[in-house]
Amino acid sequence: MTFVRLAEVARVHGEGATAVPALKGVSLEVDAGELVAVMGPSGSGKSTLLNLAGGLDRPTSGTVHIGEQDLATVRDLAALRRRSVGYVFQDLNLIPSLTAAENVMLPRELDGVRSRQAREEAMAVLAEIDMEHLADRFPEELSGGQRQRVAIARALIGERRLLLADEPTGALDTRTGDEILQILRTRCDAGVAALLVTHEPRYAAWADRVVFLRDGMITDSTNGSLVSAR
Amino acid sequence: MSIRHGLLALLSRGPRHGYQLRVEFEASTGATWPLNIGQVYTTLSRLERDCLVEPSESDEQGRVVYTITAAGREEMARWFSTPVVHSDRPRDELVIKLAMAVAAKEVDVAEVIRKQRTATMRALQELTRAKRAVAEGAAQRLVLDSMIFHAEAEQRWLDHCEAVLEEKR
Repeated sequence: MTFVRLAEVARVHGEGATAVPALKGVSLEVDAGELVAVMGPSGSGKSTLLNLAGGLDRPTSGTVHIGEQDLATVRDLAALRRRSVGYVFQDLNLIPSLTAAENVMLPRELDGVRSRQAREEAMAVLAEIDMEHLADRFPEELSGGQRQRVAIARALIGERRLLLADEPTGALDTRTGDEILQILRTRCDAGVAALLVTHEPRYAAWADRVVFLRDGMITDSTNGSLVSAR
Repeated sequence: MSIRHGLLALLSRGPRHGYQLRVEFEASTGATWPLNIGQVYTTLSRLERDCLVEPSESDEQGRVVYTITAAGREEMARWFSTPVVHSDRPRDELVIKLAMAVAAKEVDVAEVIRKQRTATMRALQELTRAKRAVAEGAAQRLVLDSMIFHAEAEQRWLDHCEAVLEEKR
C-alpha cells in the first residue's frame, strides 16, 4: 500500500532570471513497510525531495500525498507533520537542556499529550532501541551514536508512519552507522514507510529500493522487485 | 592465497579429516569461497609431501585424520606475518572496460557508468541482506563486510569517474 506519493513534482527556488530548478518533475511512491534510499551528488535535489515528501515545503507544481491526503489541500501542515511524520537530520537538533527522554517526549507534548503519558511512550521507544538506561542523560553526556539514536527515538514516538532521514549516519563510524540503519530497517519491517537520503552506498544498500537523483531528476532505480523477495 | 594456508590455520586448532576441513573453511568464509572435496584432498597431499601436515590412521569410517606439524605451524605463522601485496591481485575487468569506453570515443561512457552503478548497488543490497542474516560467526560477517567495502569503493569510484568526465566535457 502506497503511503507517500509524489507525482510529477517540480520545485523552483527563486523567480525570473534568478530562478533555480531544484526538482524537475519527480514521481516517487513509497509503500508502507518500504525503505527507499535516495542517492545523488550535492545539489541534485535530495534534500528538496525529502522536504517536499514530509510537507516541510510545497512543490511549485505536481502533487504530494501522504496517506490519503493531498498536501495542497491540508490547511494545518504543521499538525499533519507532527502526527504522521518523523524527521531525523544530520545535525540532530536535540535540545541540550533536556534529557534524552525529555527530548523524545517533546513532539508528543506539543501534540497535547499529558506529560506522564508522553514519558511512558518515550520510555517505550527508547527501550525498543536499547537506550532505556540512558534516558536521564543530557545530550552532551552521550556519544555521537547514542545521540543519533535519541533523535531517531524522537522521530518514532507516537503513531508516525512516515520516517524521513537526511544523512542520519553523519559522522558516525561504520559500525555505529550500521546500527542506526538496523533500527530504521526494523521500523520499516514493522510497517513504517521511510525515505533515506545518504551519499554513502553502504547505508543506501539497506534499502528495498535505491533511486539515483541527478540534476533534479530520477535517472535510475534498483527496481522494487526485490521487495517481494524479502 | 592459499587454500593451503587456510587449511593449516584450521588444523592449528586440532587434527581434522578432509570433509571436516571443507565444512569449517566454508563456515568461516561464508560460502563465498566454495571448495570441492577434491581440492581439499589434493591440497592435503601436497601439504603432506612438504611435511607440513601428517596423516594418522584412518578412523572407523575410513577417513584419514591430519595433524599439523611444527614446520606447518611455522609456515602458518609466516603467512600471517606477511602482508598481502596488492599487485598480486588479478586485474579488474570494470576498470579496463571503462578505460576502453573512454578510449573508444563512440561509446556513451555516462551510460556505462549509470548501468554499472545500479548493478553494483543491487549487489551491495544483496550483500547487506546476507550480512543481516548472519546471526553469529565473526569470521563470516567480516568476509561479507570486506565484500561490502569493495562494492562501496567501486560505487564511489564510479561517482568519481562521472564527475571527472563531466568536467572534461
